Order: sequence, then C-alpha cells, then structure tokens
Amino acid sequence: MSDNKKMNYYEILEIPVNASFFEIRHAYKEALSVYGEDSLSTYSLFSEGERENLLRKIEEAFHTLVDEKKRSEYNHHLVENGVIDPTELSREEKQKSIPIFLAHNSIDKNMFFKKVKKKVEESSIRELTREIMETALISGQDLKRLRQAIGIELDDIFEVARISISILKAIENNEFQNLPSLIYLRNFLKSYAEILHLDPEKVADSYIINISLLQK
Amino acid sequence: MSCIYPIGGGKGGIGKSFIAANLGALLARQGNRVVLVDLDLGGANLHTFTGISNIPVGIESFLNKSARNLEDVAVPTNIDHLSIISSVNCSMEITNLYAAQKIKIINALAKLPYDYILLDLGAGTNYNTLDFFLSSYEGIITLTPEPTSVENAFKFIKALYFRKVKQILGQNDFSFYSKQVEMNSNALEVTSQVIDSVLERDPAKGERLLQELRKFKFKFIINQFRKTVGAKLGEKIEKVCNKHFYSEFTFLGNVCYDERVHDSIYSRTIFVNKYSYTVSAIDLSHIVKNLQGNMETAALRTIGHYE
Repeated sequence: MSDNKKMNYYEILEIPVNASFFEIRHAYKEALSVYGEDSLSTYSLFSEGERENLLRKIEEAFHTLVDEKKRSEYNHHLVENGVIDPTELSREEKQKSIPIFLAHNSIDKNMFFKKVKKKVEESSIRELTREIMETALISGQDLKRLRQAIGIELDDIFEVARISISILKAIENNEFQNLPSLIYLRNFLKSYAEILHLDPEKVADSYIINISLLQK
Repeated sequence: MSCIYPIGGGKGGIGKSFIAANLGALLARQGNRVVLVDLDLGGANLHTFTGISNIPVGIESFLNKSARNLEDVAVPTNIDHLSIISSVNCSMEITNLYAAQKIKIINALAKLPYDYILLDLGAGTNYNTLDFFLSSYEGIITLTPEPTSVENAFKFIKALYFRKVKQILGQNDFSFYSKQVEMNSNALEVTSQVIDSVLERDPAKGERLLQELRKFKFKFIINQFRKTVGAKLGEKIEKVCNKHFYSEFTFLGNVCYDERVHDSIYSRTIFVNKYSYTVSAIDLSHIVKNLQGNMETAALRTIGHYE
C-alpha cells in the first residue's frame, strides 16, 4: 500500500541489489504478468490510476536497472542516501545454475503486442516510422533504430517470431555474409516488419534491394 | 485452545460450505473434535453437506434462550468427532441480525469446547459476515479462478480492512480522518489513505492501528482449479496481497475441479469420504496440512499433479 511509494527499484522488482541482467529481465516479466491489465491475479484490486502508477514504476525500474550507466548512477544515489550498503553491490554471487524452465518462460504475447501497439501510436514513433518508410532503401540500421525507439528487445522478437538472435543481429547490421538464403530472409523480414507495424512487403523488397547493392 | 477458522470469500457459489464441510471431515478424521457452524444466516445449507436434513436445535435455540450455551445446540454428524451447529431453523428475518445477537454469538464461539471451529459464512460483505470473519485472526478466503470471484475476494478483503479500521478508530475518529479521502472509489488506497492520515496526526494511534492489522494471518484457497489457469495464480495473489495489504496472507493450495463434487452433494455425503482418492480430495488434505503449519515447499505445492 503506502510503502509502495518509498520502495526502491530493486524492491519493486523484488530482486537483490547485485541481481544479474538475467534476473532483472525475469523479475520484470514476472511483475508485468502480475500487474498487467489482463492479469487475473490483480483483477479489480487497483483503480485504473493505481495500476498505471504501478506499471510506470515497474517500467522505470526495469529501464534503469538494465542500463549499466543508469544503474550505477542509481546505485550511487542509493548508497549516498544510506538505502543500501555498498558492500552488497560488490558481493559476488556464486554462479548459480539457471533452472531450465526459467529460460523458457516466454513472454505474454498479448501484452507484448498491446504494449508495442500503444507505443507506435506515439507521435515521435509515428514520425520515425514515416521517415523510415520514405527512405529509398531500408537498411538494418533503420529497423534497429525503430525497434530500440519502441523499446523492443531482440529476445522479445525471438520469443514471438522465433527468429534466432544471430539472424536478427545479422539483419540489423547488414551482415550479408551471415544472412540466410533469400527465401528465408524474406519471410524473416516480413515477420520482423509486422512486429514493428511496418508494411511487410515493402520492407522486405526494399531491404533485399539494399543488401544486394551493398554486396556489390 | 481451539482454533477458529471463518471461511468467507465475498462471492456466492464458490464452495465456502463445501470447503468448510470437507476440511471439517478431514480434521475430524485425525481425531480432533471439530464443530461446523453455519453462519450463512438466511441461506443455511451446511447441514445438507453432512447428510442431515432435520436439525431440531440450532443457533435460534441459543438466541431465544431455550438453550443456555451454544455448545448445547451442537448436533453430532455421522462422522466421528464432527458436530454441527446449524442455523436452518432460524427465523426468516435472521439475516438482519441485531448487533447484540451478533456479539452474543461471537462471544459464545470463542468458548466452544472444540479443537477446531469452522465458521461457514454467507456471500457478500454485510456487517454480520465481516464481523464473524474478523472474530478470528485466521480467516480463510475462498475463491475460484474467475475474474468475478477474484473481484469479490479483493472487495471482501478491502471491506474487512475498512470495517476493522473503522472499529479500531471508532466512528468519530473515523469520520474525522476519512474527510479528505475520496471514499466512493474502488481504489486500494482508500483505507491506506485513512491510515496514513492517522499516522501523520497521531503516530502512536496509527502505530497501534497497524499493529492490530498485522495480527491478521489470512489464508486463502483456490477452489475449482483447472489446468487452463496459470498454475501460479495462488502464489501471485499471495505475493500481491502481502505486498499491498498490512496483514499476512498465506496461500493454502488449489482444489482441483472435479465433476464428482456435484455427485457428492447430490448424494449428501461429504466429498472427501465418498471419493477419498481423487485429486481434489488429496488437494484438500494438503490444505489441511498447510493449515496445521506443515507448510510444504512452494515447489511441491505447485508442481504436484497439475504440471
């Protein structure tokens, strides 16, 4: 209840201060599955405003803690205010094995699509989308830029479209030597474009022309 | 010392009486003296679960003073060590119990000479139901994995808090502290804002209030659990409640949905006795174990037979 306002980001995500990137991501997904709009476990518990606040805090916590620079600034701030003990930060956690079911804990697809849909309707994203679609040839960097602006991780795409991370990276970095054969590439591009709410045919055509020009 | 477990949950038809009757039978099977008290006043049917159709005495005899003590109106069932105090013969107007009668019942409950006293409560959040539930620190909330039931369960908890805070502060103080709070809302914060404002103006009183709320160790059961529901629903609700309310919440376990529950009610036999080796009966005995403090590891509770 009221304690919520005073909770720090680690407490919000319920993780130790020396949590690994993997733990943070897992805790974030867990938190969304509990506090998301479609969650049965908190159905009607909060008013709309309360839920929005909680979700915003969770987003804030996640985006701060996954960013190394922001996290160390935040840690510094916590240490200065005496909220956490600096020795806790440096304490090396013994490398624990990761339970396999955690690694397979897929994201809530509905919630993911909803989040993306809401985001692409923002004016800054709409502007970026228009800019990309107007460029003569779409490159991997354009897709990456849009993906990051929306706030999608590569593993999110892997989880919803099952395109391997290495291929996604090759697409984004225009590494034609690492790309799959054309027929696969075309379909991967279309799936990727759909996630970003771009015209799949146009993106695939334009990207393939671009990459073949680069190859020469 | 006897343990009093009120069984509530806000919504109707979620299995409060079913849970009460079956937990009672399981506790009695261990040799404990158990009494089921039907406090679903005006909607009493706990006796039917135990296979008794006609109960000559009950709460009405205690209220109209034809029986001196509440224990005198307890009737044995055909299960060893299990008795029932019924309210089936109460007047048509019993739902609107007078405050004095309610207090009389609550005081008498605490004196019943049994090891376990299970109170089967009605649906809704009227004062009688809330006060019976709050007569023990260890109420059990029942819900089913449906939005309607989850909604009513949360409403029930919020109503309990509201009632308790009001009781502790007294009407005058409560009106004073709740002046600035938007009361007509479903927000979780309604009660916490009142508590916050007490803490601000009168820290000692606020602290007493919190201490009183922290004494509650609520428990909850998910009934009619189905495989399609996320197996972790109970754990998630437990976590959320512990995080956002001031009391302790413990998830006792799921009771798997079983068509045969209907058969057992139809034949007016207690489910765990008629179908002892079903998944749902085993679920219920796990719940009894958890209730008695032999908490199994969380992993065992969830993996079990659902995954």
